[in-house]
Amino acid sequence: MNGNFAVEARQLSRDYVSTKRSHVFGKKSTTIIRALDRVDFEIHDGELFGLLGPNGAGKTTTVKILCTLLEPTSGHAFVKGYDVVKDGGLVRKIVNMVAGGERMLYYRLTGRENLKYFADLYDVPKRDVTTRVDNLLELMGLSDRADDEVEKYSKGMRQRLQVCRGLINDPEMLFLDEPTLGLDVNIAKDLRSFIREKVVREQGKTVLLTTHYMFEAEEMCDRVGFLSKGKLVAVGKPEELKREVPSGFSIELLVARLTEEIASSLRQLESVKRVITTDYEGEAEGEKVDRLVIDVDSDKALPQILNHLASKPCRVVSFNLRGPTLEDLFMFYTGEK
Amino acid sequence: MFTRVVLAEAVKSLKVYFFSSRTLFWTLALPLGNGLYLYFLYLPFAAKTVDLYFNAGNYKIDLVGFTIVGQLLYSFFTMMLLAGASFDQERWQGTLESVLLSPANRVAILLGGALANAVNYLWMLIALVLSWIAFIHVNVMVTDFLALFVSLVLSYLAMVALGMCLETAEIYSRRGGILTGWLQEPVMFLSGQVFPLQSMPAFLLPLSYLLPLTFGLMAVRLTLFGGASMYDVAIPLAVLASMAVIFFLLSRLLVSYAERRAKVKATLTQF
Repeated sequence: MNGNFAVEARQLSRDYVSTKRSHVFGKKSTTIIRALDRVDFEIHDGELFGLLGPNGAGKTTTVKILCTLLEPTSGHAFVKGYDVVKDGGLVRKIVNMVAGGERMLYYRLTGRENLKYFADLYDVPKRDVTTRVDNLLELMGLSDRADDEVEKYSKGMRQRLQVCRGLINDPEMLFLDEPTLGLDVNIAKDLRSFIREKVVREQGKTVLLTTHYMFEAEEMCDRVGFLSKGKLVAVGKPEELKREVPSGFSIELLVARLTEEIASSLRQLESVKRVITTDYEGEAEGEKVDRLVIDVDSDKALPQILNHLASKPCRVVSFNLRGPTLEDLFMFYTGEK
Repeated sequence: MFTRVVLAEAVKSLKVYFFSSRTLFWTLALPLGNGLYLYFLYLPFAAKTVDLYFNAGNYKIDLVGFTIVGQLLYSFFTMMLLAGASFDQERWQGTLESVLLSPANRVAILLGGALANAVNYLWMLIALVLSWIAFIHVNVMVTDFLALFVSLVLSYLAMVALGMCLETAEIYSRRGGILTGWLQEPVMFLSGQVFPLQSMPAFLLPLSYLLPLTFGLMAVRLTLFGGASMYDVAIPLAVLASMAVIFFLLSRLLVSYAERRAKVKATLTQF
């Protein structure tokens, strides 16, 4: 254990035991599902760390272990140097968690009453409660609806109130489990900006974000880790990880009069790693257009490809060169499409 | 911090329950109907008494009073059993995790929930007492008001403490709420709610003496209708006080165990 890290996970594993009977008096069968498999990672103070992976990869399990709602089957985890199992009470004082798509609020209470209740549970100094509640409501744009019951809130408002709840104890470490799930584009964008600029940059809090929206992680995270089937398959800064992807760049082309022979001839070029022809419902100047995605070693392959196509009986309508995205990394590391 | 959490939890539970003025009205109004029902039920026996043997004494207790007190304290006990279901409510409404995510003292949360149910019960108690005073003639014989007051308070505390123990079952498992339902009928029978304990088969008596309701009924009936003094009911009062302490301490151990097991078995999020 190293106290310099905000979070440290060592060989963290978690099994879920599922028992079923074929019928009421049937024989019981037990299945063990390994949700997390000897995971090692650490998060630095003041860092926004993204834990990425498809559904069922183990992201929520990791978050729940770190905020003491679940115990690991084996391994250890520390938050700000405190063991999440042995020092659970101390960990709970300095963390909070916001989960997208989950309730975690009292719908029959008003937004203000909810926050005051949680302020009491976290023993927020009494003299600070009113100011802190008002500030959080103001910050999340909920002041004018603060005294309405939460059941009258829209989904976006409830999610913003959840964020207020997550910040009520001024936590040193904030866990955000799919915080923008199901939110409108604009609200999600505002929330991402708030977390990145206010919570992390201004207030210096450490944040662990789980998401399966790759653009969200790309926009927000200092470092990311990819979970796949319970295993942590890669950790690092996005730009570092991108360099490790064998197919570094992709060229997207729209081509008229494309034939299978032309596509095959592209595969013979030295710098080309992969050529994918995809359906494209489009026309250009009366001609049917096909879409090609070509994975190449470097951006220097572009002139070679364009020259090659110019020598063939086809016409390049448009082209677009792009570097690897987190989505490419996600597919590369998790094998998901 | 302990008191703060108790109050916060109690106020929240009451607000969630009394979320509208209509709820408040019906909570007050419905027990009045219950009172009328009991009046007609016990009207034919109004002139009779029940022999209650206790501590070498024979107390003649008004039958209607005997039954009414049985009903009142049993209702309270049921409320305390239902306190066990308050975590069930947290579970299905999706707030259990947000409560247990906090560092708040778990016993304070349990106590706050149990108190909210107890306060809720007070409405019913007031309505029932008012209706019975108005409609039913009951031969009350109180010689020691302090003894009556202490009997009521200790009964209340012992049952709140037992309610807290039962609440822990709901943290452990979503099936915990079923336990509270199962207990209602046996408790009604074993506590002597509608008949004196001397009528109970001897082999069942040890089970009766595990229930705070049994001793609460004993103390309140004797002090309210039998003219018993503090000295006369010293034994049931001592037992009630001991039970209050034991169940309170037990709830501390149980809640810690239940939470830990729930985290190991991953049952906190089950609805």
